[in-house]
Amino acid sequence: MSDIPFKNPGWAGNTGEFELSEEEVRGADFVGDRPADGGHASGAGTMPYMLAHKEPEAPLFDGAYKDRLEKILSRYPTKQAALLPALGLAQEIRGHVSPASMDEVADALELSSAYVRGVATFYTMYNKRPVGRHLVQVCTNISCNLAGADEVVDAFLKYTDTELGETSEDGNFTVIEAECLAACGFPTCVQINSRYFENVTPTEVPKICEHLKAEGE
Amino acid sequence: MAYPYVSDHEVRVLSRYFGDPAQRRVDTYVERGGYSALKKAFELGPEKVIDEVKASGLRGRGGAGFPTGVKWSFMPKDSSKPHYLLCNADESEPGTFKDRELIRWDPHQLIEGCLIGAYAIGAKHVYIYCRGEFFEANSILARAVEDAYEKGYIGNDIMGSGIDLDLTVHQGAGAYICGEETGLMNSLEGRRGQPRVKPPFPAAVGAFGMPSTINNVETLAAVTHIVEHGGEWYRQFGTEKSPGTKLFCVSGHVNKPGNYELPLGFPLMQLIEDVCGGMREGNALKAVIPGGSSVPIINAEEAGRCTLDYEGCVDVGTMLGCASVIVMDETADIVKQVRRMVDFYAHESCGQCTPCREGSAWTAQILKRIEDGRGTEEDLDTLMEMTQQMVGTTICVLSDSVAAPVQSSIEKFRDEYLALIRRGERVGAA
Repeated sequence: MSDIPFKNPGWAGNTGEFELSEEEVRGADFVGDRPADGGHASGAGTMPYMLAHKEPEAPLFDGAYKDRLEKILSRYPTKQAALLPALGLAQEIRGHVSPASMDEVADALELSSAYVRGVATFYTMYNKRPVGRHLVQVCTNISCNLAGADEVVDAFLKYTDTELGETSEDGNFTVIEAECLAACGFPTCVQINSRYFENVTPTEVPKICEHLKAEGE
Repeated sequence: MAYPYVSDHEVRVLSRYFGDPAQRRVDTYVERGGYSALKKAFELGPEKVIDEVKASGLRGRGGAGFPTGVKWSFMPKDSSKPHYLLCNADESEPGTFKDRELIRWDPHQLIEGCLIGAYAIGAKHVYIYCRGEFFEANSILARAVEDAYEKGYIGNDIMGSGIDLDLTVHQGAGAYICGEETGLMNSLEGRRGQPRVKPPFPAAVGAFGMPSTINNVETLAAVTHIVEHGGEWYRQFGTEKSPGTKLFCVSGHVNKPGNYELPLGFPLMQLIEDVCGGMREGNALKAVIPGGSSVPIINAEEAGRCTLDYEGCVDVGTMLGCASVIVMDETADIVKQVRRMVDFYAHESCGQCTPCREGSAWTAQILKRIEDGRGTEEDLDTLMEMTQQMVGTTICVLSDSVAAPVQSSIEKFRDEYLALIRRGERVGAA
């Protein structure tokens, strides 16, 4: 991926030249593959849960995923504390958290369905309805806004031919505005699925979208 | 060093290895002296660790600036209940981008600080509550934690000391309010992240109903160095009342935005001119928000007098907050930016308290009306009066954070509001 002509692939540190590869900046080589069972229990609740590949009908707590939930549960004094990681797991597999998924999570953690819905709807990162393969979240809060984030949003909407919050016809992109993503020194910051893209300008938007389509993730 | 945009003015303690991917590896970290502070802490014992942190004068880096050592000493000493240390890594304050850097470039520095903190307050388990959006940083941290377990720096009988400490990385799900300490505890427990009424304070009834202490990422990272070198060493940087170094997150209209680690008390204009390469395109400075979107805006004249320490910011009518310096030049549209910040708070209000839930939504609507040229001068009085009722009337300070930019901008940039109102009136009359 190092041939991508981005000035700054996820690099919150400089807007000019730098001598690290994208992998080094993102830490991909250091992290390596993360197994579906979550790996070590201490970090089993930190798996990225915004992925391009989605299986809306797949079972939730089967096989390796069941093992992962067990690991997560082992880290807290209450079952309820596993609720956020469990909802994240549901979204990781299915792409969004439907009422049916919430009910399954409620059953697994011995909570009421109403309670789980109350919690799930409080948090913005749980997609309550299906989204495209790539969820494009453009920060338009103050620091990015000062750098022209509104134009970046427009560029994504133009390229994908969608309205905010809608999914493009080919199912590839859903574009939404996001609140501050904590990369304010490197505006505009765009989170696409699990990755950050920083210093994004409108002219780079088509390149990024083409790259994502080619990459599959 | 690979991390560009460094400045000779910097004192790189916490950010020393930013941009060096090798630092993530536990072996490299140990070769460079890592985990020796933890060993030293075990030799000192909990009380002396707290004394050392008190002596350093370290103040919480999450925004409130409360002395860390004092906070730790609030934890009960003779309680048989489990204690918890929580690390607040839910960095979401607009303008702030330091914790993600600390996590992804130097995860073991944070882990070591967490373990020292847990040992000092008698906790057996640390939860690092990481912002959900930080998938990449969280994966780096999770890998580093796993490595530290494998090497025996976390777990049972750490380095043969007989001391057991566990650490879990907990991933959030997108809610600014979970950065509020009691909101974070509710979220950790699998609830809506709504702040709790205090008292009881976390040291008495915190996470899972047990005595808990919560510290920011940067605070705990600094603890590692304070225990390693001593409290007096830390005091060589900064001012008498605001000792130490601080990561300044500079964004907006400067030539070189970025994270700069500077001694507290550094002059704001010198940060903009010397460290950040001056204003973009040589434009004139209009306004600065020195501590993240929740603190009052200052104008260029006030910025000229401002030093970046807790007291220096108060002297010019604002706050240091988490040292997130948002710089705006003459082209910035103050009304639009204030409206955008208030939109954010309206979106992030948890909805528990009426002044915040209703006030933030109405404030956002009135600001939008003014921005669109449909406002009146009375709207400004309404905004001032309404936001006044949002200060000190709610469970947490999110509501106060709406008032800060609105009131300060109307006071200092009233002309900009009036220009939009007058223009709207002219268009309406025509």
